[in-house]
Amino acid sequence: MSEARVRKILLAVGTAFMIVFCLTPFMWMIAVSVSKYPDFLGSQSFVVTFRNYLDIITIGSLHFLDHLRNSLIVSATVALACALIAASAAYAVSRLRFRGRMPISLGVLALSTFPQISLVGYLYKLMRSLGLINTYPALILPYIAWTVPLGFWILLSYISRIPHDLDDAAIADGASRGLVFRKIVLPIAAPGLFSAILLIFIAAFNEFLFALMLTTDHSARTIPVGIALFQGLHGEIPWGYIMAASTLASLPLVTLAMVFQRYVIQDITRGALKG
Amino acid sequence: MPARGYNGRTAYIFIAPMLIVVCAFVLLPVGGTVWLSFLREVTYLPAKFVGLGNFSRLIRDENFWQSLKFTAAFTGVCVPLEVVLGLCFALILNERIPMRNLIRATILVPWAVPTIVSARTWELIYNYSYGLANYVTQAVGLSDQPINWLGSPASAFVALVVADVWKTTPFVAIILLAGLQTIPEGIYEHAKVDGAGLTQRFLKITLPLLKPALAVVLIFRSIDTVRILDLIYVLTNGGPGGSTTSLSLLGYKYFNEGDFGYGSAIAVVVFLLAFVLSISYLRATGFGKVFK
Repeated sequence: MSEARVRKILLAVGTAFMIVFCLTPFMWMIAVSVSKYPDFLGSQSFVVTFRNYLDIITIGSLHFLDHLRNSLIVSATVALACALIAASAAYAVSRLRFRGRMPISLGVLALSTFPQISLVGYLYKLMRSLGLINTYPALILPYIAWTVPLGFWILLSYISRIPHDLDDAAIADGASRGLVFRKIVLPIAAPGLFSAILLIFIAAFNEFLFALMLTTDHSARTIPVGIALFQGLHGEIPWGYIMAASTLASLPLVTLAMVFQRYVIQDITRGALKG
Repeated sequence: MPARGYNGRTAYIFIAPMLIVVCAFVLLPVGGTVWLSFLREVTYLPAKFVGLGNFSRLIRDENFWQSLKFTAAFTGVCVPLEVVLGLCFALILNERIPMRNLIRATILVPWAVPTIVSARTWELIYNYSYGLANYVTQAVGLSDQPINWLGSPASAFVALVVADVWKTTPFVAIILLAGLQTIPEGIYEHAKVDGAGLTQRFLKITLPLLKPALAVVLIFRSIDTVRILDLIYVLTNGGPGGSTTSLSLLGYKYFNEGDFGYGSAIAVVVFLLAFVLSISYLRATGFGKVFK
């Protein structure tokens, strides 16, 4: 067989495997979520229904909408605050000379490797003594700190690429650094900011361990914890509900990732290879 | 030129918010955890300084060694699998295939699905009576009886590995794809002219030039796998018989029981493992280039 032929066959088989591998569990999740009987592979037949979706939205005691609201509020606040904080720091590191520029940047990078388990015990004690357990700040504050390395590195690589001429000129005209940052750098860095916000949002939306320890009920509990601890009303594991909730929780993220795949792929790479 | 001079005060104002959150909610908690690991700190009892007491208890604790072994084995199996599979995916995505953008978007699906969601989906896939896993293994004749996937230590281990590989291979593929794209097309053309075959070109050109990206991905994934918790919490909760309890999960279980001293000692061990790995990470990335 010729080399071109071998290559073609390998590619076709590989591509098919890759697609099946990546999509099957996701499709299975959706299939069970719209199936009247979750055991359709066993005894029952496959009957399509939207009952599971209706139920998790309308049955208040399942708290699905509460968890979703908590997740959206927490993740959105974290994404916006973290991106701003990170952009401001990235601006300083890319434009200004100061002592500690390099150690601070490396230190922040090192933080992203800290295991969550090494923070959560003390965080729990800290939040309890502040009376913040089961509130939004108990999640928002640690989440910002935990995602700031990601935002910082994405934005540093973005802001470093913006030519300095513009801000130099503005400063020569007497503008302050703060003004330059707000009026020139932030608007030019908008695409970078957007993709940082996207990635931070996804990270915060997915976070599990902090949310598990720092919340106690539906008033602050987020979607991942809600789904992990999902209990049925009657004891048996309600797979239809769980898969419907899972589908609703992942569709926004999957859609965002697919629509903005170019940004996402670029950022995952920048986040890991650092510029 | 004002922009080139030393302007420490302005710089610190810009950096202060980041430093404050990081100090208050990362450095302080890590320091606090180290401090707690030297205490006997159990609910309803007054805290007492015990020095290295918790650590000497660790050394004698069979469950700790079991967890350490599991975590090492899990990392040792998952990471190579993810890198090999991720490399295959990256090689495919780097080719001119039809609908490349759509296919690239497809591999982002496992990455974008929240870990807990994927864990519960796999839990259902491994369901004994109506899960997809048993349906498939029986349909293709791998096994004539349903397997209780999460019921025995060996099959639970395999089940966890498959679920972890599914979730994280796309990340590996994306990084390696970026690495592949830095290799100039011309090198391959030259080698082709010189008569190098497909395998030879892969071994002599692709692999050596991909080394930096491979190193990054290897260490990145190792750090992540050494501290794994959420997937296991949902799929096996450490069972059966504690055989799949990762170090992080073991630490969490002590926190959950109110034993903060001993839980913190375990957390410190996880921290040190990740720390050692991240130092090799800093070396591998050939750092400091950004600061030239």
